[in-house]
Amino acid sequence: MQAAAKDFSKPLGGESAGWLVILAGFSCLPFVLGPYWLNSAIVGLFYVMMASSWNLLAGFTGQVSFAHAAFAGIGCYTSGILSAKLGLHPLFGLLLGVAAAALLSLCLGALCIRMGGIYLSLTTLAFSEIVRIIIQNEYDVTRGTMGLVVPFIVGPYSKTTAFYIMLVAAVGVVWLVSWIINSDMGLRFRAVLNDETAAQSLGVNVTRVRLNAFVISGAMAGLAGSLYGHYLMLITPHIPSLDMMFHVLAMAVIGGLGTMAGPVVGAFLLEVLSEFVREFSDKYHVLVFACVALVFARFAPQGLVGLSVNWWKKVTGGKRST
Amino acid sequence: MEDLLLYLTNGVFMGSTYALVALGVTLIVGIMGVINFAHGELYVLAGYFSALCSQALGFDPLSSMVVAVVLVFFFGLVIERILIRPTYGQEMYSLIITFILYIILQNAYLVVFGPYPNKPPNWVNGASDILGLFSYSNQRLASFAAAAAVIAVFMVVMRKTWFGRVIRSVAMDREMASLLGVNPERVNMLSFGLGCVLAACAGVILTPVFPVTPTVGVGISLTAFVVMILGGLGSLTGCIVGGLLLGIVENLGVAYISSGYKSLFGFLILILVLFFRPTGLFGQKRL
Repeated sequence: MQAAAKDFSKPLGGESAGWLVILAGFSCLPFVLGPYWLNSAIVGLFYVMMASSWNLLAGFTGQVSFAHAAFAGIGCYTSGILSAKLGLHPLFGLLLGVAAAALLSLCLGALCIRMGGIYLSLTTLAFSEIVRIIIQNEYDVTRGTMGLVVPFIVGPYSKTTAFYIMLVAAVGVVWLVSWIINSDMGLRFRAVLNDETAAQSLGVNVTRVRLNAFVISGAMAGLAGSLYGHYLMLITPHIPSLDMMFHVLAMAVIGGLGTMAGPVVGAFLLEVLSEFVREFSDKYHVLVFACVALVFARFAPQGLVGLSVNWWKKVTGGKRST
Repeated sequence: MEDLLLYLTNGVFMGSTYALVALGVTLIVGIMGVINFAHGELYVLAGYFSALCSQALGFDPLSSMVVAVVLVFFFGLVIERILIRPTYGQEMYSLIITFILYIILQNAYLVVFGPYPNKPPNWVNGASDILGLFSYSNQRLASFAAAAAVIAVFMVVMRKTWFGRVIRSVAMDREMASLLGVNPERVNMLSFGLGCVLAACAGVILTPVFPVTPTVGVGISLTAFVVMILGGLGSLTGCIVGGLLLGIVENLGVAYISSGYKSLFGFLILILVLFFRPTGLFGQKRL
């Protein structure tokens, strides 16, 4: 814990000034943007949470989970059903949504993580489809593909309120991810990612480390999903779908896996891009994204952030030599 | 009694096709350590090819099937060469790439073929009386026979021929095999193509019974994954036994418990296997 406390200040020093400037610029957005683009910004913040927490799993411990959208769906349906049917306050429902997502990710993770990466990917994919099928079929509880109407997060409906709540949550998630990465838990994450056998020989419990990452990221997905559901006020089985999963994956991959800024950049870039593509044609929107993501995964696995860091190094290195 | 026999027959029929699809995934996993999330999409592709060949080009069923399988084989080779080969040794990227490939293919089918179901004409018409108990569609019987024949041929090739021995040697010990003069890259490429051929065979055999739509692929892939884990990762015999078992359990479950949750039975089996015997029925090596 001592080391963790020391590194605690790390994200707040040095380059964090840049982050603060960006954040300040961001919090002015509701005064600048119209309702249409403000909506995009809120959806973008949702994707920032999803992609950052998925990146904690894939980028920092090397496990590809396909159940991230499913956990978001579990979060939003738990919270949505409790607040819509039982009249619970959405904020309280939110907590229960996060708890449900964390609990289910603990069960799922405990079941398959000890068997290694391939099993995790296969089981999470199956889990994701099952969650979607159950939500779609249990019409009486979830209203299936018609969607369930849920109350707004806090007070009367306002995009500005939603924006600030999402902003706080997204900053919280990103900060928590960076804090974890810089703590000694993050050290263990990276040890497991780089060399599983070596980490194990040095006394790291590989299964437990991976399970930790899986549960933390599942809980974050639950939080993102519940907030998003209460913002939309209509939750549909699209949230726990593989389509949603693909969007999150594409954002993390295009932005840059294993970097802090990557998923943030990827989420906003793709969200803005998708508005333009949608204007052009809704039919090709996923297809275009998938092709871009494939090109990145195949030819530039370090993502946009990795590419620009390399380019910057080359440029500054060139300057030094002249 | 007749009902139970009918459900069992259905189960064996479905099970044989599950086994066929799962064999393709298992072959690729066993030899390359790569999960192909787009496996079901190749099944769909073969279904569309065979439907197009017989509808638009007027081929007879057999030659349209052969054309479809050959096309998918070459498509598989291209995928392996361009997308999979650079990811050798990086499990994570092969998982991500094949998942993206699944999204691309599914959406491409939606754009090219539209959301409507598509099917080639039946090979045979009518129905036969089974032992005087119930009548069963002839097309299903023919599809079952074809699936069983493809599985038998595949097993003989893997067990008895020189080609099968080369493939199995790479699966057992890649470095030793390459020391003995086997070109592992070429074996990888061929076995990926062969895995795609198995998916394509299942596709052309089943599309007369179950028409293809752009979205059926993911269900096919998931069934194959469940069968593979049930049988044991990398075990070909496990696939056949696991496929039949899953087919029978699913059909009995749909008949006697609930029809809305067909795929839930597969998932329950998956959880039970992971809980009690994570290596599967026939798995020996810890992966």
